[in-house]
Amino acid sequence: MIEVKEVEKKYGKKSVLSGMSFTAHKGEVTCLIGVNGSGKTTILNAIMGLTPFKKGDILIDGKRLHKEMYEKIAYIPDTMTMISSLKISEAFEFMNDFYTVWNQEKAQSLLTFFNLTTDMKISELSKGNKAKVNLVLGLALDVDYVLMDEPFSGIDIFSREEIANVFTSHLIENRGVIVTTHEIQDIEHLIDKAILINDGIVVKEFNAEEVREEQGMSIVDVMREVYRS
Amino acid sequence: MSNFLKLFNFEWNRFIKLYIILFGLVFIVQMIGLSYLIYDYKAMINLEIGKNHMSTEQFVDMYGMFGIDHLSISILFIAPIGISVAALLFYVPFIWYRDWFARNTFIYRLFMLPTSRMNLLFAKLATIIVGVLSIVAYQLILLVLYKGIISWTIPTAFRNDVSVLEMVMESSYLSIVLPGGVMEFLVAYGLGTMFVIIIFTAILMERSFRWLGAFLGALYIPAMAITFYAPLIIIELFYTSFPLYANELFYVFLVMWIIITVGSLLLSRYLLNRKVTV
Repeated sequence: MIEVKEVEKKYGKKSVLSGMSFTAHKGEVTCLIGVNGSGKTTILNAIMGLTPFKKGDILIDGKRLHKEMYEKIAYIPDTMTMISSLKISEAFEFMNDFYTVWNQEKAQSLLTFFNLTTDMKISELSKGNKAKVNLVLGLALDVDYVLMDEPFSGIDIFSREEIANVFTSHLIENRGVIVTTHEIQDIEHLIDKAILINDGIVVKEFNAEEVREEQGMSIVDVMREVYRS
Repeated sequence: MSNFLKLFNFEWNRFIKLYIILFGLVFIVQMIGLSYLIYDYKAMINLEIGKNHMSTEQFVDMYGMFGIDHLSISILFIAPIGISVAALLFYVPFIWYRDWFARNTFIYRLFMLPTSRMNLLFAKLATIIVGVLSIVAYQLILLVLYKGIISWTIPTAFRNDVSVLEMVMESSYLSIVLPGGVMEFLVAYGLGTMFVIIIFTAILMERSFRWLGAFLGALYIPAMAITFYAPLIIIELFYTSFPLYANELFYVFLVMWIIITVGSLLLSRYLLNRKVTV
């Protein structure tokens, strides 16, 4: 379980996280939803130890993040994390060199699924294909938790469909997934827990299926209700 | 292979393009310089001895003998060394900043590797040090080659067979890059390593606290220079005669070197683990 406890973070005088708390469980897809600047990316960066925070605590299976944890938790940010001059095969080699949990077979099958080949150079890929490679680099790690920041950001409808299909495949089964997205409709049916964030705090946390079944409301409907109020 | 060696190998492969360019530049420009000097000297021999009937002794008295030391005062020999030094100095901040500001944000991946972040720093540091030492070794090999070319093209009577070592020792700037003794070598490259570590620490300050960090980093560099020379400054201010023997002064500077280098590394480790942000 990933536990975020009362995390506070400021950029200068501006408070970005104002005591944010939530939990994300293994085997569940948790979606962080919020408008731009609400603190979604910052909290993912904080969980991964990529940005320091002032107060609070973040625990992964009861422990604070340390270097070995990067074999347990993967992060797919909305920016390409590999050097553009490399070929995809070289990027895979890099991952294989450093991560014992790198699954070359899975990486290859995902790449094939996305109609990409290992001889392609990252710098020559379109934005959509770069996002797919980024996704492969994260999902081919056999980890317990995967964090994804805006996996559909700036990507065309066809690529979005392909990425959403990956979500429905076995690749995220039994993993704890935290995803942030604006394109909620693409993965709404996959979300177990939705967390609405505003101004660096959690304003509502709910089970998406329960709300759907009991109140007949979609996540977007709940969002509208919360943000209008 | 350890993660440090893997990272070093990776950094080195990223450095290699610039390196090949530098190697090529040094060789081509220095060869042009040497060829020009040889051509000019031989043209003078032909003119003075062939046409003006000057004797060999008179020629040597007037123009001197030709040796590898002629090369060290040529701009075409010095300029590529200067460019290499400038390129390597530029590479010290570049080796960090490109991971944040290149087309892709590779720093995310580097910081998420299941290894100590200090390995990143040591890999980058080792790349710079090995880069400098390799280019120095390359220059030595080239000097031996140039000496061979001189022996091959200039007749014995006009040739001053200065050894490469003598040439290096006599040149004020070459003796800095290629120190004569083991101790001088350790001092020169020890100071160079300390300088790179201080710059790395200042960069990490900037990457941790942005504008405030840039300001602190800009202060950190001169502060460390003053700290290093503090024993000399104190002696200058408070003593009328110099109270230390040369070897004692060396040990004082060695202690200062250890304090600054270890201190900067500890500060860098703190910044990398606790403060730096993508």
